[in-house]
Amino acid sequence: MHPVAEVVLDASAPPSEPGGRQPLPSPSSPRNGGSPSAPGSLLAWLRYTALVPALIPAGIIVAIVWTITYASRLTSLPGFFSFNWAPTSSWGIGVFVVGSFMTAVPALFFSMLVGLGLAVASTTYLPRLAASLLDPFVDLLAGIPSVIYGIWGYVVIGPYFGLTLNPWLSAHLQFLPWFHATKAAPINTLGLGLPLAIFVLTLMALPITTLLIRDSLRAVPRELWESGLALGATRWEVLRRVAFPYSRRGIMSAAFLGFGRAFGETVAVAMLIGSTAQIPPSFYGTGYTMAAAMFELIDSAYTSAQWLSVLTEMAIVLLAISLLVNVAGRRLVISLSTTEVAGV
Amino acid sequence: MSGEGPVGNGPILSVDHLTVTAKGKTLLDDISLDFASNSLTAVVGPSGCGKTTLVRSLNRMTELTPGLRVKGAVNYLGQNIYDRSVNPVLVRRRIGMVFQRPTVFPNSIYENAAFGLRLVHEEEGKIDIAVRHALTRAGLWDEVKDDLERPALSLSGGQQQRLCIARALAVRPRVLLLDEPTSALDPGSTQRLEETMEHLKEEMVLVLVTHNVGQAARVSDRVAFLHTGHLVEMGETEEILERPKDPLTQQFITGRFP
Ligand SMILES: Nc1ncnc2c1ncn2[C@@H]1O[C@H](COP(=O)(O)OP(=O)(O)OP(=O)(O)O)[C@@H](O)[C@H]1O
Ligand SMILES: [Mg+2]
Repeated sequence: MHPVAEVVLDASAPPSEPGGRQPLPSPSSPRNGGSPSAPGSLLAWLRYTALVPALIPAGIIVAIVWTITYASRLTSLPGFFSFNWAPTSSWGIGVFVVGSFMTAVPALFFSMLVGLGLAVASTTYLPRLAASLLDPFVDLLAGIPSVIYGIWGYVVIGPYFGLTLNPWLSAHLQFLPWFHATKAAPINTLGLGLPLAIFVLTLMALPITTLLIRDSLRAVPRELWESGLALGATRWEVLRRVAFPYSRRGIMSAAFLGFGRAFGETVAVAMLIGSTAQIPPSFYGTGYTMAAAMFELIDSAYTSAQWLSVLTEMAIVLLAISLLVNVAGRRLVISLSTTEVAGV
Repeated sequence: MSGEGPVGNGPILSVDHLTVTAKGKTLLDDISLDFASNSLTAVVGPSGCGKTTLVRSLNRMTELTPGLRVKGAVNYLGQNIYDRSVNPVLVRRRIGMVFQRPTVFPNSIYENAAFGLRLVHEEEGKIDIAVRHALTRAGLWDEVKDDLERPALSLSGGQQQRLCIARALAVRPRVLLLDEPTSALDPGSTQRLEETMEHLKEEMVLVLVTHNVGQAARVSDRVAFLHTGHLVEMGETEEILERPKDPLTQQFITGRFP
């Protein structure tokens, strides 16, 4: 059948009952491609294939968790849930977990802040031409491989942090104990450590947060904007009182996806964090993250059963936290959407 | 925008040689008309004749569309709102607007009605009173008074549209512009909204865009008929609808229009 003719026929079909449930297409309906004589059971069976896209990711997660768990059961690890990392006598992964949060949370904070700024500028304040120049530039950041961020951070940004920014910050933040470098917790001139890792992670999460916030602000209907302005609000007031509440779900999603990106990032962090199994003694100190540790210590995996176990169990912890944050994020986003239409 | 009372006996709102163009195309061509106080003026005409453009130019909403150029003057209490010294934000607080589709904000009924008052940091007590007053004038109070914290989006379309009117009324504008406010509503809601407009026109200037001659006949005191960006004729509703002078107007009101 000619496609145009089909559309015309569809348009002339009687509309489905208002408010009534959409009837399931009958197995012989020509619309889902079956011929009238095809056996209904086969089509019914085929309908289950719709579940396949959902089963694939679920299957992958189950497979990964199961195999890793299997590998990690090889031996017991003394002091696994402690902050004491002294391999073979104590296997505490606490410092790595804390390191992961200490880099990912501030990076997320800054990339949300900058992302909000860029998204607001591009959707609300900048002239169209300027916005159309800015947007692809931000999106391009997403296409840069991690290792490029790593080497750029190490060679270009690191020395600047180590020689200029970190000493300056330390001098000006004397009143905050942990933000003040001391002899016991000095600044290294290479600039390796938390600030550098946070800075580069911020850049790496930035395209995700900006893109999602921008899209959700663009989804605010033009009429809502105009209604706000017609009530004598400024653009900023409409943004704050109408556009942000309207797009809060998108903004939350941006935060959760940005966190995932920063929390799991490996190569760039491994190059910049300074790889020291400690909680950084000052803001300018070196540390470690779970992802970076697994990456850098993988050579030891087959040196002993305990090494293999500790690396795989660290993987489970990282995966569990990532999935947990993801699930919690989804829940939150869904709960926001149901309160919005409560009472319908 | 300082003075509040009418200047002399002049109209609250008048349009003086208004021409609106977009990329060389003329959307409104040299329009001049007065909107009388305490009355409802209906702006009618076939689709695309420039009705929306006209009402949007009355409170500088035209500025939000890139590429639109406005020449001539719109005088509010004797002052041209397009003067360089005039702040459009203040213009829009005095000249409110309701759109074709309900545009409630994603929060409660109360917060919707209070929106404009929150902008000027009105006291809570005064906001309560103003919200109640505005909802009453918009004919919505009885239906929502028991649960003002409900999400506004849970109201019916007609209720949402009356909430939009209440929201515009809460900031006490002198002029209210309504651009086909009933075109998305069922007959019952339309009738309620028409009743609301009849009450409102006793205390302010109402400008109603409608494509419905019957609605103009029911609620308006005066009718302005637009065609391809020109003001064809304007006058008392009875006069225009029963004894139109221009053949174009005659064609339109008898429904013999392309
Ligand atoms: N930004 C714009 N750029 C170019 N042309 C425009 C623009 N806005 C409106 N127009 C044109 O101006 C004319 C008048 O538009 P307007 O929306 O004012 O008509 P209207 O009388 O409100 O029509 P309707 O009854 O369909 O709502 C139309 O031909 C429209 O295509
Ligand atoms: Mg229109």
